[in-house]
Amino acid sequence: MNCVETTATVQAYVDGELDGVDRESVERHLASCPGCARRVHVQTRFRAAVRAHLHRPEVPFTLRRRVEEALGSQPIAPRRWPAWMSLPRIVPAAAAVFLIVAITGTVRRSNSMVLEQAASMFTRQPPPDVTGSCGSIASWFQGKLEFPVHAPALGGGATCQGGRLVNLGARPAAYLVYQVSDGHRVTFLVFDPRDEPIEAREHRVVNGREIYLGTGPGISTAAYRDRGLGYVVTADYDEDTLARLVTTSFGR
Amino acid sequence: MKRRPIRADFEREALPHLSALYGAALRMTRDPKDAEDLVQETLLRAYRFFDTFEAGTNCKAWLFRILTNVFCNQYREREREHVVMTEAESSSANLEQFLAGAGGDGRDSETALLGRMVSADVEKALAAVPPDFRLAVVLADLEDFSYKEIAEIMDCPAGTVMSRLYRGRKILQGLLYEYAVEQGIIAPGNGAETLDLEAFRRQKQGEGGGGDE
Repeated sequence: MNCVETTATVQAYVDGELDGVDRESVERHLASCPGCARRVHVQTRFRAAVRAHLHRPEVPFTLRRRVEEALGSQPIAPRRWPAWMSLPRIVPAAAAVFLIVAITGTVRRSNSMVLEQAASMFTRQPPPDVTGSCGSIASWFQGKLEFPVHAPALGGGATCQGGRLVNLGARPAAYLVYQVSDGHRVTFLVFDPRDEPIEAREHRVVNGREIYLGTGPGISTAAYRDRGLGYVVTADYDEDTLARLVTTSFGR
Repeated sequence: MKRRPIRADFEREALPHLSALYGAALRMTRDPKDAEDLVQETLLRAYRFFDTFEAGTNCKAWLFRILTNVFCNQYREREREHVVMTEAESSSANLEQFLAGAGGDGRDSETALLGRMVSADVEKALAAVPPDFRLAVVLADLEDFSYKEIAEIMDCPAGTVMSRLYRGRKILQGLLYEYAVEQGIIAPGNGAETLDLEAFRRQKQGEGGGGDE
């Protein structure tokens, strides 16, 4: 083996890609060729140094949350299907999956995405970004959203527990958590309803206002519009209790 | 509908690689916002196609393949900048000289260079390596993928992987040498005086196995 040949394999040797006869033959050459031995030495050190200097960056909190929320909303109501279909080897199987997901997505679309996402967040209980009184939580959202947030007033000795900035589709929204004195939790999702349709299995008109009701396992959700904003209320109450709660909050 | 188990499986298999994906995305896009978008899109696609992932095979490589694909389709277009490669490669020739020269007195010239290298310079140099070569270096040196895995991730033959890796590292090393000279960390031509032209030519000939595609 001569140097030219070895140079082509020095890299493979340094990368641990050689074994058996190939490896032995390179090692025999290295033992008798200081030039190639030095190249291996230098390349090994360079590789180690570069590696030692390039740290894995910390994953931003916002990314973790975006992924979490995207996964939470994804299979239930697939929203947009971008023009892609560009994974050459995966496409045939993918096409089938796409169809199934698209069809089930449509069929299940009785509750709109906001209701599903609110229910999913209620269950997962993501940690709050901010805690404090209703007023201080509401003002924390100032400048973070394109609309002002007012924490809806609830009866029953309910107090604000925390707020969180969440992504709803492509837009940020406010998420508010209340604790009611009877031990129940109530959450509000406040969002811009212009590109987030509100639909649900059940639809009632209460005090001249439309309320959309959905039920999940052990929880109920109600959605409505108020002064240009969309609200989804979620609680571990039954549907009627939740509807009453929402209605009383209108009067306040 | 078995939605729950898929979500749980996906979280167990894929999410542990979030930090590796983000690191690679950041180095490929060179922009934190783009990197986040790239990783989110990658994971969403992976999630949609998780049925096609064969359990027990290398999930990390599968995710990186999707990442590479999304990157090439969505971000690559923006960065059609043709980096002046000859410049970086000529500095790597100077590096050769430097490394070969100081070997004579038994002291390691690379120690002078590597010992005082700082992370910010390594990041800067890596960012200046053209995308295909950079990706090969990131996959091999940071993520420990084998040539075979990189070939699958980048969808190219193993020979191409080797030449991309070879050139990527050469450019990276040449840039690091340049920075060190600029900053006065090492003196240019530290070994040049001790190396005659003949010896340099021999050295170059010995090195001659590169060339991309």
